[in-house]
Amino acid sequence: MKTKLFTLMAVFVIAALVLTACGGGASDAGNTGDAGDAGDAGMQEPTFGGASLADFEGAAGFVVVAPGDPIRLGASAALTGPIPEFGLDIAQSYQLGVHDVNAAGGILGHELEIDIQDGACDGDAATVVANGFAADPSIVAVAGGTCTGETFGLQPILQQAMIPHVTSSATNPKVTSEDCTVCNRVALNDDLQASVVAPYMFNELGLTQIAVMHDNGDYGLGLAELVQGYFEAAGGTVVAFEGIQVGDTDFRAALTKIAASEPEAIYFGGYATEGGLIAAQMEEVGLGEAIFFSDDGVYGQAFIDAAGAAAEGAFVSFPIGDEAAELNEAFDAAYEEMFGIAPDDQGPFHAQAYDAIALLADAIGRAAVADDAGLGYLLIERAALIEAIRATESLQGLSGVLTCNAIGDCGAGGIQIFQVQDGAFVQVSGFGMD
Amino acid sequence: MSTLTQPKLPTSERFSQLFGKYIYIAVGIIIVILLIGRIIFVARQESYPLSYWTFQVINGLVLGGVYALVALGYTLVYGILFMINFAHGEVLMMGGFAGFFALQYMTSIGWANGTALQSTLTIVFMMLAGMIVSVITGIVLERLAYRPLRGAPRLVPLISAIGASFFLQYTALLVFGAVPHNYRKPSVIDGVWKLGDSGIIISYTGAFIFITSILMLLGLFIIVQRTKMGKAMRAVAEDKHIAALMGIDVNKVIVFTFALGSALAGAGGVMLGLHNTVIRFNTGFLPGLKAFTAAVLGGIGNVLGAMIGSLLLGLLEALGPSALGLPTEYKDVIAFSVLVLVLIFRPSGIVGEVLSEKKA
Repeated sequence: MKTKLFTLMAVFVIAALVLTACGGGASDAGNTGDAGDAGDAGMQEPTFGGASLADFEGAAGFVVVAPGDPIRLGASAALTGPIPEFGLDIAQSYQLGVHDVNAAGGILGHELEIDIQDGACDGDAATVVANGFAADPSIVAVAGGTCTGETFGLQPILQQAMIPHVTSSATNPKVTSEDCTVCNRVALNDDLQASVVAPYMFNELGLTQIAVMHDNGDYGLGLAELVQGYFEAAGGTVVAFEGIQVGDTDFRAALTKIAASEPEAIYFGGYATEGGLIAAQMEEVGLGEAIFFSDDGVYGQAFIDAAGAAAEGAFVSFPIGDEAAELNEAFDAAYEEMFGIAPDDQGPFHAQAYDAIALLADAIGRAAVADDAGLGYLLIERAALIEAIRATESLQGLSGVLTCNAIGDCGAGGIQIFQVQDGAFVQVSGFGMD
Repeated sequence: MSTLTQPKLPTSERFSQLFGKYIYIAVGIIIVILLIGRIIFVARQESYPLSYWTFQVINGLVLGGVYALVALGYTLVYGILFMINFAHGEVLMMGGFAGFFALQYMTSIGWANGTALQSTLTIVFMMLAGMIVSVITGIVLERLAYRPLRGAPRLVPLISAIGASFFLQYTALLVFGAVPHNYRKPSVIDGVWKLGDSGIIISYTGAFIFITSILMLLGLFIIVQRTKMGKAMRAVAEDKHIAALMGIDVNKVIVFTFALGSALAGAGGVMLGLHNTVIRFNTGFLPGLKAFTAAVLGGIGNVLGAMIGSLLLGLLEALGPSALGLPTEYKDVIAFSVLVLVLIFRPSGIVGEVLSEKKA
């Protein structure tokens, strides 16, 4: 009886394997068939500025999009890891961005398509994702990653493959640099964030002694060090500097130690889950009076959910532009219709993520070359696309008007300070508040 | 081992054996002196008040209490089957999720934040839900992943356990999502005691967890030492075959052992959820690893050892960094260094491996 079952299962497995193999083969054959048919029908081979298709097909620095084929983007989003809410929000905004580009007619008659992979907010996971994209010659550009560490994992591989990426939420200053030609972002960097936040704590809140905590990640630690530097430069004292581990849930030992140095506030560089737990556990070690202040990785509903009542009165900073209110309303409505949740309940970085797609679509539109005879072929030179992204100027996005600089920083808007009041984030400084 | 007479060794080897022993002791003494020196040095420099240490001891005891509940599951199973159930952390996670949904239900009918009695019943209901789901998980695990491999070499069920651990973790990821689920503490344990002017604060949840774990550990001790089933467990631990000849249903005893360990893990999962107010698919991994460490520290297979090892590990994590003047992020480094030191000087753990007299 058992052997019979086993044989039956084996047959099924083999049949499944054969069928899938056939499917793959058939579709491959179909693709080449298309190109062959075009030739057989007496239509001329496409040429680009006189050069024939064969010169570019398979060449590393070029992507050839056949008639009717989509232009393919890759994306790395943190769908698991410490901030899955952020990752899902960003992934959905990518999808909406692609949907909107296609609804507006696509790029030079081609649809845009996006392949979203889980970068897990982690450099190792991102390496796997990036290798997958680098091995796929049809990937034109990559949106992401969500986290700084994840983006650091993507960059060296994408640089080698000459695939440009645009991150919407990796804010460490080192994400963009002169050495990296494929690296771009539509968020504001942490140097700016720290230079706004630290003086705000010292001057506006009147804090003189703070403790700084971080999650030992590229993003959290980098930001915490910057805030420490700016806070001390403003004249304040950092009485404690403590790290925690992502994935840990009990921070009482570290907080007890911090409590002994009697800070007036705790600044935390890191993400929402850990930030929420720290805020919630502060009261239990006698830091109930101290202010919790954090960053754009903590802004959003996830923090309020995690911290519960302890979220009340907490401060965070987040970049927001003031010029695109109508566009944002339209986006919010479309997002809610498509995914059944308001974007602000899902995560904070949707405007930037949507803008990353818009920016890529715009740059591809400028860099892509149609074939001479108008057969519907598209040639994208990778080097030209990289330059086209950096040449983006005055592109109206949800997060503001985007203009890229020489090292790929395209972020718009400014750093705003928010405070949790009655269970929701309320803007307390920044644009329109003076 | 001890019954065998040692063969006579050549003088030179006897010398090196003796010499090696002295080196061990010398190195041990040097390390201890260095550690004590460092602690005294730090204590004179930092001069934390007494309330600070009390605080950290409380943190450590609560943490240790939860570790103990989980560590017992490892130790019981090891004691009887000589295998490490690496999926035990996931059993804890399943219990934590069951507790979470029980809490959601009780909140929806208004009991979680209702009268003191309703709120207490909410906690009881959560604990029961967590324990029942964990027991079911544990029993199914034993039946499907371990029993078919009972005659296999010892590494085989170990691999099966690791596979089961991944299976449960990623099943939870698919079913519950990657998003953290946040516990809202029932009103009766939401709050803190402030002890006069000393500055010491004890959270209701912390006290509840510590007291409940101690009670559960006592209960377990009574089951193992005083009941008929406990006697059967000890007999099976001693020798499965002889126990079977004596009329003990070995399979039943093994299932009972898994159920007992899983129930404690389920309770631990709910408590961990209440304490840290968050649960997600990989919540069981770190506590599972720590509890396994605690079980080895105390002496794997030994119920008392697991308890002592767990409390010690909790205290080390809370007190160690401050005592040595290191940042708290080194707490795991300190805890695991102590584990290594203990294993070098006492390979069978602090208390030793004695659920039974016989070793594998």
